[in-house]
Amino acid sequence: MVHALKEAHRILVPHGIMIDVRPLSVDVPLEVVYAGGSESAGIIDMSPCLGLDKAADHAIETVIMERIYKEVKVEYFDFAFYWKTIKGMEEDIEENWKDEVIIPEEVIQRAHMIFKKRHLQTQIRVGNRMKLGVYMK
Amino acid sequence: MRPLRDPEGAELSHLVNACELEGKHVLEIGCGDGKFTRQYESLPRWVVGIDLDLSDLHEAESNKSSLRSFFIRSKGEQLPFPAQGFDIAIFASSL
Repeated sequence: MVHALKEAHRILVPHGIMIDVRPLSVDVPLEVVYAGGSESAGIIDMSPCLGLDKAADHAIETVIMERIYKEVKVEYFDFAFYWKTIKGMEEDIEENWKDEVIIPEEVIQRAHMIFKKRHLQTQIRVGNRMKLGVYMK
Repeated sequence: MRPLRDPEGAELSHLVNACELEGKHVLEIGCGDGKFTRQYESLPRWVVGIDLDLSDLHEAESNKSSLRSFFIRSKGEQLPFPAQGFDIAIFASSL
């Protein structure tokens, strides 16, 4: 990671901007949203990627300590994914995020219970916590 | 089933607030299939997205909406560009 940050530094103009935007491994609620409201079905375990978070943060700290970049600002925000069905969400997670996310069975069951209330426009929402860091060469 | 991704546009709005993209030369490291690139590609003078996955790059190229976007197979540790050619380098979930 430090090597890639240094390579980015090489191709940037003087005072060029490096941006690090990525999801954080912060546990978040699985929400069932519908017209007029939402309910949490429980918490999703995002811890499998904690090690990657720490490695990325460490790489950023390293290049700042080496005065390769200066921190301009760091912001956090929610980045939401919506699925129309629980099955669709499970299939998508199995295909793309199998090793990154753990959804406890009781959370899935609770989501099914909320879905059965048949609210209008029901969807599943997962709002990942994102970090956006801005650094100057 | 593919999810609806960030319909609120939070990622784009934070990127636009974070730096001036208009007229700039932008490198996106880890562009994947170009989902994020497509959101802002109309703003810079040009954008180069790099990734290692050829099928993702093909999808990015097929779906781009700007003639000023280019997608290249490369890894972040060894960029095939001369020094000081870009104003902005974005690590898009790739650190």
